[in-house]
Amino acid sequence: MIAKGKNVVLDGVSMVFGDFTAVQETDLEIRAGEFFSILGPSGCGKTTILRMISGFLEPTTGRVLIGGDDMAGIGPNRRPTALIFQNLALFPLMPVWENVAFGLEARGVSKSKRRERAMELIDLVALRGQEEKLPGDLSGGQRQRVAIARALAVEPAVLLLDEPLSALDLKLRQHMRAELKDIQRKTGVTFIYITHDQGEALTMSDRIAVMNQGRVEQVDTTDVLYDDPATPFVATFVGEQNVFRGKVAEVADGFAVIEGPDGSLRGRNRSSLARGAEAMVFVRPERMQFLNGAALDNVVSANVDRRDLEGPFVNLFLKRDDNEIMVHLTNSGAAGRDLEGEQRIGFAATDALVLPAGELARD
Amino acid sequence: MNALVRTYGRTLTGLFVFLTTAWVIGMIVIPQLFMVERSLWVRQESTQLSLQIDRLYNDISLLRFDAQAAPDIDKPAVENKISKIEEQIAELEAQEKTPQKVYTLSNYTRMSGLHFKIFVRTIIYAAMVTVLALIVCYPIAFAVAQVATPQAAAFLMLGLIVPYAINELLRVYAWLMILDYQGVLNTMLQWVGVTNLAKHEWIPFLESPGAVFVAMVYAYILFMVFPIYNTLETLDRNQLEAARDLGAPTWRIHWRVAIPHAKPGIAVGCIMTFMLSAGSYAVPQIMTRGTSGDWFSQTIYRQFFESNNWNVGAAYAFTLLIVCIVFIFLMMLVFRVGVRDIAR
Repeated sequence: MIAKGKNVVLDGVSMVFGDFTAVQETDLEIRAGEFFSILGPSGCGKTTILRMISGFLEPTTGRVLIGGDDMAGIGPNRRPTALIFQNLALFPLMPVWENVAFGLEARGVSKSKRRERAMELIDLVALRGQEEKLPGDLSGGQRQRVAIARALAVEPAVLLLDEPLSALDLKLRQHMRAELKDIQRKTGVTFIYITHDQGEALTMSDRIAVMNQGRVEQVDTTDVLYDDPATPFVATFVGEQNVFRGKVAEVADGFAVIEGPDGSLRGRNRSSLARGAEAMVFVRPERMQFLNGAALDNVVSANVDRRDLEGPFVNLFLKRDDNEIMVHLTNSGAAGRDLEGEQRIGFAATDALVLPAGELARD
Repeated sequence: MNALVRTYGRTLTGLFVFLTTAWVIGMIVIPQLFMVERSLWVRQESTQLSLQIDRLYNDISLLRFDAQAAPDIDKPAVENKISKIEEQIAELEAQEKTPQKVYTLSNYTRMSGLHFKIFVRTIIYAAMVTVLALIVCYPIAFAVAQVATPQAAAFLMLGLIVPYAINELLRVYAWLMILDYQGVLNTMLQWVGVTNLAKHEWIPFLESPGAVFVAMVYAYILFMVFPIYNTLETLDRNQLEAARDLGAPTWRIHWRVAIPHAKPGIAVGCIMTFMLSAGSYAVPQIMTRGTSGDWFSQTIYRQFFESNNWNVGAAYAFTLLIVCIVFIFLMMLVFRVGVRDIAR
């Protein structure tokens, strides 16, 4: 029904505004038909990349290729892309069906054909019966669907989404995630999704690029990104992390031992750090456990500070000097409620990742 | 009202109400009522009376001359005659000062064919000025509101406002100097060899209504630009980008997205420009200096100050007002905007 997705290649693309470099030289390939997210804090350059792909910005250097075609000099109205704006940018004075059919109107499709096609898309996004309403009379989720239908109407090979879910409340957002993923699967269009919400990126994407300060720090599948972050920034931006600092004291068999204020800790040495290097050890809160006689590679003792009940799990925060340690416990009934005072917590060396010391994501 | 009292207290609320009422009565109701009342009556025979009085004064002068010049005249008899005539004059003058008012609609129905032609032409010209101003102002308003960077927009706005620091008459005179027979434009055309001022070969710009149009568009440009600018400024730029992204060429983006959004502003701009140009006196007066036909405002002026017939003048002015009000409703109908949209 809809043209298959195309791949998008950024070949040495950079963007400079005056003396501000929004995007440093970047090579990136987004595969045809994949759900690809660009994740990063606000101001990291992700929207700039999106605008270069959609054609609203011409890159300062490098080329943007869509389906192998160089897009230089081709305006946004002639690219095989469609953009869903953060605020959706529906046309408030047109009824829903005219909104959806606008792209076809611009292509000179006759009114009856337009209407027919718009109704198909309205069915696809489950809005049948709302076609004569104005966008202002719809709920947030319905407006969202209108925006998706309007973008799909022009049969784009690449759909660009600029944080379109950020204005929705939590429940609706979770629902729309599933719906977006579903539409992507049904249509086979390449989705490029921009977000600062790592949860959103993890649940929907096939692959994610994490950006910071105009630079792509890592591009990987969601699992790799979560378990094997390449930099301290990625490690702390995606999900929660406990961080221990120190110097590499020993390296052997892909593992490294770090000596620091928290004692000696062993973890996977993925970036082949040499002895003496400044390093950080990252451990996910759900990989840490309280020692009930169990033997683990690494042990840290800390004082219980506070307990947050999240529902299915419990976050326990412990203090050790300046360092805050977070432990997730599965809530199998009042988990961790009676824990007090100094506790010994541990984690396996395979669950700990040693990376060169660097910039962390700010909360 | 209660909300006002709660927010501002009795004294301030009373002051607000008083000022508003005073404004409505003093600035709107009384002057209009006065004009309407004027337009509904005529003074009976007043011209004949004054003619009679003039004649009698002449008679007196003649008699006085006789009394002085002729030696053998019966002076007391003449004096007697004079005093009698003076009595008569006093009587007539008293009559003239309290003229007989006759209420009638004749001021409205009596418009001559020529005046009616001027009236219709003025309405058409004012409509043309409005359309011209709209064509000129929409791109300016769009550029300032949507395209320009903040600094450039501020600069453009300043450029638009600065001429308004000068009196309207002077601005019109500036255009007079540009379009005059030996004005700037004809001089420049001489350089290209189109005109020859020494041989009186020039293009008589001022004799065409176009000269008035140009000066009017210039004089009232802000009244069109500002309302359109105000509405376009609230247009989400993403909507323009969305339209572009969906493949629309520039004209369609304007036709389907920007202009529908700006409709209330366009309606307000058109209403203001139309009212100002339909009622403009100074611009046609200065620009044409009688070389091309009157505008209706000039005809009204002549009724008041040349024919000295305030009643017909008031009737003409009221007719123009009615047409302008009809125009407002027409605009609201055409642009499908309500009073609320316009008041915004």
